[in-house]
Amino acid sequence: MADRDYLGEFEHVVMLALLRLEDRAYGVSVRHEIELRTGREISIGAVYATLDRLEAKGYVKSHCGDPTPERGGRSKRFFRVTGEGVAVLNRTHRALRNMTEGLTLVWRCL
Amino acid sequence: MKSQPNPDPLPHGAEWLIRLFANAEEIDLILGDLSEEFAQLASQSGTAFARKWYWRQTMKSLPHLVSSAFRASPGLTATALATGFLLRHLVARLPESVTFALVDRFDIYSHHWTVYRFMASTALDVEHALTFLFVGAVVAFVAKGREMAPAIALATIYALMAVVGSVSHVIRGGEYASLLRLSWYFSDSLAVILGAVIVRTLRSNNLSLSGR
Repeated sequence: MADRDYLGEFEHVVMLALLRLEDRAYGVSVRHEIELRTGREISIGAVYATLDRLEAKGYVKSHCGDPTPERGGRSKRFFRVTGEGVAVLNRTHRALRNMTEGLTLVWRCL
Repeated sequence: MKSQPNPDPLPHGAEWLIRLFANAEEIDLILGDLSEEFAQLASQSGTAFARKWYWRQTMKSLPHLVSSAFRASPGLTATALATGFLLRHLVARLPESVTFALVDRFDIYSHHWTVYRFMASTALDVEHALTFLFVGAVVAFVAKGREMAPAIALATIYALMAVVGSVSHVIRGGEYASLLRLSWYFSDSLAVILGAVIVRTLRSNNLSLSGR
């Protein structure tokens, strides 16, 4: 992926959720983590659409777990961030930090 | 693996919508996630609350599932869309031509006025709708696994074309009657989607049967 690529806002949030959850990151846990930390109600469709996009870009990898009874006998798909994913995450953070530098005063006034 | 029975009944309508719109390979993942959270919510807050949550999740997920299908297979979606356009161009006038060929061949206009009236009005409308149903079914057949996205795109394009055409008729010629014909044109779009729904449902049922 290009060195100039950055994460979109929701992609960024999803990637951070994956890092927080480590090896427990699948649809339900990612959705819960984001809702818990951002207070936004998000749909499972939005989570999978974003994870698919990130996987297509090579920023996350996935593998299937075992089927469980509480899921009606269906498997979970676990996700984890790749090296490329960490790089783009760092790049996005750096860009945001550069953009927000010196704005602390403005934020205090709001 | 065979599905385990869930103690609380899942909202089947919402489940059907997910089966319809999700990418084929993601249906079980999404339904599994929803099922897991549904069971938790039902035990904590009751079945009614869980069902409402399930429906809300489904409705909020649909736009993402459709757009995800476009992004996952842009080539397949574009091919299905182009097939739909071409097919529609080829077969759109077919019912009318066949009907009036029959009318002429058997001189229906002179001998069977009631039959003629039916053929020139209701039967034509039905044939027209069936033609678009066929177009939708073929589009869905081509877009295997992502049936609904190109069908919805095609239906939306036809609906927009109808609106633009009707409004331009009104602006240029003051033909307000063309606005009334909009519902007729919208039924074309609806028939395209219905055709895709039928193909997707048949495919899903075949998959479920073969998975048992």
